[in-house]
Amino acid sequence: MTNKARLNLLASVLLPLCVAVLLFILWQTEVLHILLGTDTITLPLPTRIGEIIGQNADAIWEHTQISLRVALGGLVMGSVLGYGIALIATIFPKWGAGGLSIVSAFNAIPIVALAPVINNWTRDISTEVDQRSTVAKMLVVMIFCTASMSINAFRGLTELKPFSEDLMKTYAAKRGTVFLKLRLPNSIPYIFTALKVSVPSSIIGALVSEYFAEDTVGVGRQIRENIVKGQYPTAWAYIAVACIIGIALYAILMLVEHLVMKRRKG
Amino acid sequence: MAEEIRKETAREKDVEIMLDNVGMVYKTTDGKDVTALTGVSFDIHKGEFISLLGPSGCGKTTLLRIIADLITPTSGNVLIGGETPRQARLKKRYAMVFQSAVLYDWRTVRKNVMLPLEIMKVPKKERIERADKMLKLVGLSDFADHYPRQLSGGMQQRVGIARALAIRPEILLMDEPFSALDEFTREKLHDDLLRIWRKTNKTVIFVTHNIQESVFLSDRVCVLSPHPGRLSAVVDIDLPRPRTMDIKDTPEFTALVAKVRNSFEGV
Repeated sequence: MTNKARLNLLASVLLPLCVAVLLFILWQTEVLHILLGTDTITLPLPTRIGEIIGQNADAIWEHTQISLRVALGGLVMGSVLGYGIALIATIFPKWGAGGLSIVSAFNAIPIVALAPVINNWTRDISTEVDQRSTVAKMLVVMIFCTASMSINAFRGLTELKPFSEDLMKTYAAKRGTVFLKLRLPNSIPYIFTALKVSVPSSIIGALVSEYFAEDTVGVGRQIRENIVKGQYPTAWAYIAVACIIGIALYAILMLVEHLVMKRRKG
Repeated sequence: MAEEIRKETAREKDVEIMLDNVGMVYKTTDGKDVTALTGVSFDIHKGEFISLLGPSGCGKTTLLRIIADLITPTSGNVLIGGETPRQARLKKRYAMVFQSAVLYDWRTVRKNVMLPLEIMKVPKKERIERADKMLKLVGLSDFADHYPRQLSGGMQQRVGIARALAIRPEILLMDEPFSALDEFTREKLHDDLLRIWRKTNKTVIFVTHNIQESVFLSDRVCVLSPHPGRLSAVVDIDLPRPRTMDIKDTPEFTALVAKVRNSFEGV
């Protein structure tokens, strides 16, 4: 391992870990509670949260699966849609840039406003609450994930190294060939840039969309329900699970990126 | 009369590229005309090494891009082996080497050389054979499975040359290919290029702003002057071949460099 690799590992793994351990100690010893001016009922101790997670493992796992399905389903739909929009913008560059600003504008609409509208759309697609509710939530996540993919993918498809299009022209390459052999591979690092934004936001999107969903399931909804009922330790258990989902998905993404991009960096 | 006869013999001597009164006028955004190139006429023979030499703004790259059919001239005619530049491009009669190597960094060195062959639908086995042969020619066989970023600038540009040669073009168009390299690497690549040229017998059109480089490499140096870009002289370089670095220390070389330098106008 080179010195640089060692430094990278230190910065990306050890440093956050140290902060987490420090936080855990402060929390468990109730120093944190003094600092925040709160008590162990509103902010239960980590060991208590762990206990709750252990006791409710089955229910938590069920809600986790539901939230994951919404987050990943919406992520895939939004990313595919975003890449498709980027492709169209690449084919029609005159309209492309303007079209992408409209997509970004959609991204700025808050979920609170979006969720009821989408719930209305999906009202008639199924008689089963869980089915129509899942679709509605996925659509919210999809809208959340579309913009970052379309903007980044458009850059990846159009920001080419100097002369690389000229090179293709000297080979009399057709448009499809230029796409397959130049634009598509060139866009791959940009896809990861997009996913680094949209993976975390797909989880946030899924959890928040559950607040407004017809069906009262999912990790996000459980956080809300338990806080409303004053069951803070259970609510915190679900918050902890939400954090774990976020970190896990992000870690998987980084791993995949490392594997795919390793060859390019040499 | 004598002029007529000379032209005829030139035509018989296998003219590969004919430039006839070529001009290029750009329109700027505020509607003004800018003349990048005007009235360029000369012939390039088969197997000849020609340099297009001049300072920036003289239109030398514009002229090369016109020959390559990357841009269309606003006046005049270009014929490549009797065909239009477009036909020559579609038939892949020429290959181009750019200012930077333009390697695709997601492909290995070998796969970069194979890229044009893939587009030309050459069978896979032959693709690999031809790529490996070209890499051997430029002395990079050991780096076939490396990625471009693992290579120095000089090595990258050699891959660019191997990729250009892989399609077996009749003409090699080179647009300041060594301008980004250090002096030592450049001299090494001059040697390599002359060796490859001798071996493969291509017609080479080499764009440069370096007087020594153009004199060392070429059979003829076309001197282009700016404002507006035009051909101000064609200097024959009658130094013996094969040429080695030592030739740069001879009085003949120095005299030719001076002759080329003195043929610029209005710089």
